[in-house]
Amino acid sequence: MKRASLKYLVLLPALVAALAPVYWMFTISLKSEADHFAVPPAWFNFAPTLEHYYDAFVTRSFGQYLITSAIVAVISTICALVLGTLAAYALARFRLPYDLDRRLSLWILSTRMFPAIVTAVPLFLMMRDLRLLNTKASLIIVYTAFNLPFVVWMMRGFFDEVPRDLEEAALVDGDSRLGALVRVVLPLVSPGLAATAVFCLIVSWNEFLFALVLTQTDASMTLPVGIAGRVTQYEIKWGVMSAAGAVAIVPILVFAMAMQKYLVRGLSMGAVKG
Amino acid sequence: MTIRFQNVTKSFGDTRVVDDLSLEIEHGEFVVLLGPSGCGKTTTLRMLAGLETVTSGDIYIDDERINDVQTQHRDLAMVFQSYALYPHMTIAENIAYPLRVRKLDKTERTTRVNKVAAMLEIESLLDRKPRQLSGGERQRVALARAIVREPRAYLMDEPLSNLDARLRVQMRGELKRLQHQLGTTTIYVTHDQAEAMTLASRVAVMKRGRLQQFDTPLNIYNRPANRFVAEFVGSPSMNFIDGKIENAVFVNNSIKIRVQRPDTNQVTLGIRPEHIQVLTEPQDGAIPASVYVTELMGNETFVFLSVGNNKLIARAPAEFRADFETQVWLRMNIEKAHFFDSEMGLAI
Repeated sequence: MKRASLKYLVLLPALVAALAPVYWMFTISLKSEADHFAVPPAWFNFAPTLEHYYDAFVTRSFGQYLITSAIVAVISTICALVLGTLAAYALARFRLPYDLDRRLSLWILSTRMFPAIVTAVPLFLMMRDLRLLNTKASLIIVYTAFNLPFVVWMMRGFFDEVPRDLEEAALVDGDSRLGALVRVVLPLVSPGLAATAVFCLIVSWNEFLFALVLTQTDASMTLPVGIAGRVTQYEIKWGVMSAAGAVAIVPILVFAMAMQKYLVRGLSMGAVKG
Repeated sequence: MTIRFQNVTKSFGDTRVVDDLSLEIEHGEFVVLLGPSGCGKTTTLRMLAGLETVTSGDIYIDDERINDVQTQHRDLAMVFQSYALYPHMTIAENIAYPLRVRKLDKTERTTRVNKVAAMLEIESLLDRKPRQLSGGERQRVALARAIVREPRAYLMDEPLSNLDARLRVQMRGELKRLQHQLGTTTIYVTHDQAEAMTLASRVAVMKRGRLQQFDTPLNIYNRPANRFVAEFVGSPSMNFIDGKIENAVFVNNSIKIRVQRPDTNQVTLGIRPEHIQVLTEPQDGAIPASVYVTELMGNETFVFLSVGNNKLIARAPAEFRADFETQVWLRMNIEKAHFFDSEMGLAI
């Protein structure tokens, strides 16, 4: 009993530090503008209002941004998972001449080593020439590309954990390579796949830089860009931004909770032989 | 169905794992590939299965060259040392897997799975997952998965090596009956000479990638082609004594025996422990020796002996007792002895 209470005591500061900004955002979204800057701050006693939610999702286009964000995040995650998983499988299972499998892996990883901003201008020019500026497709392409190395490295590690015998048994049993991958290997790495999917989705959902550079119109804007757009030279719409932010948290939270069972197993996969 | 290896070589980098192997396996045979670890027996099996490419040479099944046929189209079944059961599927799904990928309809699948399960007495396990099974049960499931689709041949890679000794002997017998019942060509890899002797219709003994001898178990035991085969097969191992033959007498620094052999300067005499008789009283022509140690096996006693600087093993009856360093006398049944050329180890 004593040990348990001690445990929570240690966890408490971390929990407060992590949740305080979220709590603050959530309360701001419910406060009237007059209460936003009250001194001392109104932590608990304020008259809640839904005006900012109405303003954001009815008067303004935040509903549209939300849909755009969802489409871009989901499709780019699926693309990155499909392409990355196949690449990871190939790198994990086949030896290429000249040590190419190892070199390729490092090369793929190296694309994550430079700051994202250095690719912003080239990507802008490419998308302009391809006439893809202000489209969801541009963001899907860029997010897929940026998530790929991550997927390849994560999945490669999970594939390494699966004994080769199982696939070879599937081949001898008459299955094709792809069939063995789909029917035997993928079910075994599904926790890893789920963990990877959650990370990709979070990264795409929260991405700001490329969305800002590549999209300008209401129809193509994602939620983070939409929220930041309420900071103008005349005013800062704290209430609207908080309301949109509070809504933006929900889908990821729900998805992560649904995947929680896999997430823990996925992250600790390989630590203990099953 | 016949299987033919023709001058097959497999190299990994600069290492030749299988070296110029030629082997012809008849329809319905039970062939055991026998050898110490690293002798290329598993690689040979994997080349036949299509899990390893062939560096040079050809492999034929029924006169069809299969070097470039993909694994899934060779119609062979394999039992892995690790059993390789699919952990996320139930036992029934595991057994049905080869039928599922061949798109057999569900009722047919169920019928065949049940039939095989009954044959191997694993009906009660069908709804379980592999991790809930014991080693012996997993072994049966792996066999069931191989049998269910009636392949052209069975390939088995040390299938009994993960079982405890008692179960291994039991499964060995069952495997033999099963193969007899099915009549399907079987190629079986093991390093255990007892498995090879009991199961095989013919044994292929391999060493460092090269085939040493391919013959019936009896001939392998009674007429080994070289010293390696003689030493590898039989437990305890054959005794070897280096010496020379002069005027039809085998001479060694401490042993002299009359043999009907032409004179040779360097020769190795090989004699199995059961062909050495240990006597407690001196006899005419018997060789004096001293007991190094004895090991009572229950039904017999292994007697380790020193003859000069030669160490020999003899089999004696269970009642035989002797203290360390006891003086005894040996009588060798020289008709059963083997002679090998000392340099190459070939039988002469």
